[in-house]
Amino acid sequence: MAVGGTAPPRGSAAAAASMRRRRTTSGGASGGAAGTMLQFYTDDAPGLKISPNVVLVMSIGFIAFVAILHVVGKLYLVRREA
Amino acid sequence: MGGGFRVLHLVRPFLSFLPEVQSADRKIPFREKVIYTVIALFIFLVCSQLPLYGIHSTTGADPFYWMRVILASNRGTVMELGITPIVTSGLVMQLLAGSKIIEVDNNVREDRALLNGAQKLLGILIAVGEAVAYVLSGMYGSVGQLGVGNAILIIIQLCFAGIIVICLDELLQKGYGLGSGISLFIATNICENIIWKAFSPTTINSGRGAEFEGAVIALFHLLITRTDKVRALREAFYRQNLPNVTNLLATVLIFLIVIYFQGFRVVLPVRSKNARGQQGSYPIKLFYTSNMPIILQSALVSNLYFISQLLYRKYSGNFLVNLLGKWKESEYSGGQFVPVGGLAYYITAPSSLADMAANPFHALFYLVFMLSACALFSKTWIEVSGSSAKDVAKQLKEQQMVMPGHRESNLQKELNRYIPTAAAFGGICIGALTVLADFMGAIGSGTGILLAVTIIYQYFETFEKEKASELGFFGF
Repeated sequence: MAVGGTAPPRGSAAAAASMRRRRTTSGGASGGAAGTMLQFYTDDAPGLKISPNVVLVMSIGFIAFVAILHVVGKLYLVRREA
Repeated sequence: MGGGFRVLHLVRPFLSFLPEVQSADRKIPFREKVIYTVIALFIFLVCSQLPLYGIHSTTGADPFYWMRVILASNRGTVMELGITPIVTSGLVMQLLAGSKIIEVDNNVREDRALLNGAQKLLGILIAVGEAVAYVLSGMYGSVGQLGVGNAILIIIQLCFAGIIVICLDELLQKGYGLGSGISLFIATNICENIIWKAFSPTTINSGRGAEFEGAVIALFHLLITRTDKVRALREAFYRQNLPNVTNLLATVLIFLIVIYFQGFRVVLPVRSKNARGQQGSYPIKLFYTSNMPIILQSALVSNLYFISQLLYRKYSGNFLVNLLGKWKESEYSGGQFVPVGGLAYYITAPSSLADMAANPFHALFYLVFMLSACALFSKTWIEVSGSSAKDVAKQLKEQQMVMPGHRESNLQKELNRYIPTAAAFGGICIGALTVLADFMGAIGSGTGILLAVTIIYQYFETFEKEKASELGFFGF
């Protein structure tokens, strides 16, 4: 399925059921060390809960902050030298 | 051991201050996951181009040059630390927990939460520590040159970038994205490097007129401008100081070999005890530990380099220090120190086939070292990460799976026939491929390309799995 494709209509219960069965059977088989590699935070822990969007906004805010620092730094320095 | 003092409990007071991404309370559709992953990647890429504010200069020797490729860091940018804090803290905690230095009971919820918290706290502390060390050691110019205000600003920028990487990684792992942030960032960094080396439009003047840095661009440029086409071709294929077409072809070849080997596996049939007729299989891959051996091996080597360089600069006359490694400034990549003697030299890849012929002992030592280190790390890693035969047998038992034709108590013995062998042999194969890549001069170093390919392959598998479950849900 293409990433940008529209969602196909919901199928019959039978198809879903067969899928569920297939998934459970392969569930135990997906192991191997690769699956657990470098996966550290999989559990829930108490802490300062933040939603994923906050993380993204925070990161973009940080980028903007550094960019503004650059701009202000340039302007300020130029004015001081002049 | 229950009631006494436990190191893990020291983390508890900090737990409520640590940022924690909420777990997804619904199933995130595949499309949304892709969007989250792409945005995270975009943020990472912008951060690794955005220069730090307030730095004076980034010239001079770069002691972390060897680690940059696997740590996804870029010099002089906000991503200076890259994923160093998070990987270091993760490895340290896993090794501590695996070797039972700190007691963790994985069945207790609180213990797992505390371990996660400890990992994150250690990650942030490492970020702070490294940022301070970088600034104080004068990597961006001395503190006097920078001014105290700027120095503090740099430290804040680096720390915050570290926290952002931790949050992004957690965001991707908590089910909002695909795979793990760490592997995504490593793979991106290496791929970017390869693409850049192949198509870079920058010109470098190395005495024979301006030459393009990118191998492919240089090939066409030389073919068009030179009158002697054969010599132009030879130049494009074999030039020494810049990436050439042979390097590029070697990279592609290694890529294909690794993907071919990824398919090697032993499939053990398993059957569910409760539901009759449910057949499954437990595949044991040849690359059982995937890229872990090389991550560990390069972490070891880069630490050794770092210590050796530091010692050599201070006490270059000492016999023991010289035994550890002698360093010289390289002629090509300005300001980089390369090992020319001692242990550090022998565990470094020979730079070319000609170099190999000149120093066969060096090549042999390097080969033996790589293979044995990878095999050893691979075998250690299955114990540490909980994927040894005992753990897998326990997992399968919990899921009520048995192997047809074997008694339940036999499961571990049966798994034990394959898993340690797969781990050790897989480790050796990974090591051999890394050596091969280094000898052929693949772009981005053998370690780098092996990491990139295995990560991309993992992503490919995740993609397939996600797509399959998605299609299943919608009834295709």
